[in-house]
Amino acid sequence: MQFKKLIAVGLAALMSTTAIGHALAQPINENPLSDPRVRKAIAYAIDMDTIIETIFEGQAVRAIGMLPDGPNKPTDLIHYDYDPDKARALLAEAGWDSSRELDMVYYYTDQATADLMAALQAYLADVGIIVNYRLVEGDVASQISVVPDDPVNGPSKVTWDFLYGARAALALQEYFNRYAYGLKPMIPNIPRMNELVAKVNGTTDPEVQREGYFEMEHYINENVTQIPLYYQQLYTYESDRLHRNDAPYGNEQYNYNWGVENWTIDPDASGKAVMYTNAGPAQFFEVPWQNLGIWVANKFAFDTVLEADGSLTPIGGEMADTYEISEDGLTFTFTLKDGLTWHDGEPITADDVVWSIGAAAKFPVTHPVVQSTLKKIEGADAFIKGEADTLAGVSAEGNTVTVKFATLDPNVLLSFSQFAPLPAKYFEGVDPVTLQQAPYWQKPIGSGPFKIDEVVMNDYTTLVPFEGYHKGTPKIEQIIARPSSDNDGNLLVNAQAQKADFGYTKAAGDVPGLEALDYMNVHPIDIPYTRMLWINQFPHPTN
Amino acid sequence: MLTYIIRRVLILIPMAFVICFLVYLGLELTPGDAVSHMINPDAAGSMNPAQLEALRQSLGLGQPFHVRFWSWFTNLLQGNFGYSMSGGVPIANIIATRLPATLELAAVALVFSTVIGSLLGVVSALKRGSKTDSALTVIGMLGVSIPEFFFGLVAISIFALNLGWFPVGGRSMPGYLTLWDRLPHMVMPAMVLSIMLTAGVMRYARSSMLDALSRDFIKTARSKGLPEWRVNLLHGFRVALTPVVVLIGFRLPVLIGGSVIIEQVFQWPGIGNEFISAVRSQDYPVVMTIALLSVMAVLVASLIVDILTAVIDPRVRLGE
Repeated sequence: MQFKKLIAVGLAALMSTTAIGHALAQPINENPLSDPRVRKAIAYAIDMDTIIETIFEGQAVRAIGMLPDGPNKPTDLIHYDYDPDKARALLAEAGWDSSRELDMVYYYTDQATADLMAALQAYLADVGIIVNYRLVEGDVASQISVVPDDPVNGPSKVTWDFLYGARAALALQEYFNRYAYGLKPMIPNIPRMNELVAKVNGTTDPEVQREGYFEMEHYINENVTQIPLYYQQLYTYESDRLHRNDAPYGNEQYNYNWGVENWTIDPDASGKAVMYTNAGPAQFFEVPWQNLGIWVANKFAFDTVLEADGSLTPIGGEMADTYEISEDGLTFTFTLKDGLTWHDGEPITADDVVWSIGAAAKFPVTHPVVQSTLKKIEGADAFIKGEADTLAGVSAEGNTVTVKFATLDPNVLLSFSQFAPLPAKYFEGVDPVTLQQAPYWQKPIGSGPFKIDEVVMNDYTTLVPFEGYHKGTPKIEQIIARPSSDNDGNLLVNAQAQKADFGYTKAAGDVPGLEALDYMNVHPIDIPYTRMLWINQFPHPTN
Repeated sequence: MLTYIIRRVLILIPMAFVICFLVYLGLELTPGDAVSHMINPDAAGSMNPAQLEALRQSLGLGQPFHVRFWSWFTNLLQGNFGYSMSGGVPIANIIATRLPATLELAAVALVFSTVIGSLLGVVSALKRGSKTDSALTVIGMLGVSIPEFFFGLVAISIFALNLGWFPVGGRSMPGYLTLWDRLPHMVMPAMVLSIMLTAGVMRYARSSMLDALSRDFIKTARSKGLPEWRVNLLHGFRVALTPVVVLIGFRLPVLIGGSVIIEQVFQWPGIGNEFISAVRSQDYPVVMTIALLSVMAVLVASLIVDILTAVIDPRVRLGE
């Protein structure tokens, strides 16, 4: 009996390694999707080049691997070029039951996604895989993200076979963090991946991180634990009236050194330098810790502690004059610039920053990368649970703030390059858990180059230059922001009416219309945003 | 009549309660809640469930359905509409800012469609079988058949983008202080909203005018030697007006809650837009308040229609 147990443990350990798991090439449970041959067949069955050319009108990049192109992505990944014959052969080898019906879910409501679902269904049907697809609505998280009680054997708590989703990453670790033990709703535990996730999260050394990314990319690529489909691009659009004056372009969804204070715009008929944009608030300004730079009105109005470049690499201080990280990576210290003020003229103090760090740690929907950083601060757990009144690891002396971490976080600088402190005095008596419900968000007092002037909710918001901004008073006299989501359904009509001078879109369908306007300029920008298919390999009730 | 009105008003209360309960129940049965809407699905797996649960508890979402409904209802009876879950804004403020935008659009559309629709309907009936009648009938059919958003997009294309006469959308701009300033913004949405209403009123007015003109009292009036205009307008049109009033009465609440498409096409910051946004984000206090407003508008409109019908048509006796 003891011997049998040892054999079983040994086999399980062997199967968990890349080489053996790959060589065995057979299902690991009763779900045939746990068979790598079936998953490879699915990858070979999809003609992404044609999908990109047709459905996305060429406005996407076929994904090879999870990570976007760059130094952290290996160049020798298998491409899985469209080969339906190979897909059929793999399915035959795996004994695929062609009467089996699979369930594919998605949560984007745009037409391109619906078209993509239909295309995937047709490609898979062509090789003998029947797929039905459906949109998940309402509490999406509980339908796609609930993990099984047993992360090794399942069964899964999600009922679908395929999930079409995306990873829009601020930090590259985000692409892989769900491979950590117990975080995957759809993939049985892979011990080596657990180690690699810990490796890339446990160091600030880019070389060590790169080794980890390479190995994880190879594992996912060879075992097709998920299928990367395409890299989504982001398109910045500008009218001919707008002049960035050599300010860089970057990932507009986040905060970067866009140099907006130096932008200029040709005056309108009244002689005023007015810039029109969108993404203004419909009912309230969103807390800038949640989606970081998505709402341009927030980006105009708030400064961050540090500054990143267009690729989101931290490059220096914004509100911080100086900063440093200790050699062990566990202490981050920064000193605020002298004379910083909020838009109401009150000084920005280190105490404001300390309060903001604590509130952001408690705020439930702070961006996951920033939240992950904040939760590693000494005493964060007790503070968040309400067992401590203050966040022990954060302190202020004069204009200097010191943040002490209990464990190493690889993204401290990145997180603080996205983190906008708020004026504490406006939140007295407000529970950070319900921070978004505070009256402050009807007309926030910020710290950035433009201050919010007039707010007519759901109609327009105006911003005007913040006189005395520490990087220089902005040159654009007024910004008028119409309300919209980050996917603005009225973008084209407003652009045609010359009421859209600046903004960005991720909707590829908007691009041809914008490019057709001779006074609009569109700049495609590669961003870390990979659309993919997750494959549920666990046994589940509908198997 | 007073007894009738009092009885009808008393009936409104339980009806409004039942309808609100059903709307609340419908929201409850919809998957998800206000907190799940706040989470970007792409980041769903990375959020901390314990903190999300804390937010749910803080917003009162952890309580059972009946407790939440009763709490909402009793607050309402005390004049407290509550707060939006998404942004914490007092709902009274939301209504105060959004309802006027919708009402001004609805008022213009209702007046325009009533006057023009009734006139065209009468003309069509009086010229029955003529080319004018045929043309108006076809136009009426097109008006009620083609969706509003189509007219909206065509209007934007022609009058805003090509001719540049009107702005493409929005209700106002910085520096606009008066209704006169805002008028250019209102023209297109109000006219487009009027198209379907005008067509409907015209068709109703035509058929009811034709019906009235075939009655015996019209023949009697003519036999008395009354001038034709007097026969048509004072005798015929007055009777023909009854079903038109009913139609217009029931259009009012539809306009309040139902100009959603127009508001979206023309970026109009009205209550319809707010309702759609609140339903999507499962912001139930906002949904419930707007639903209650709509319910009350329908019930009150039906009461007003009854009263007006009795006033216009002496044969109608309320409460009998």
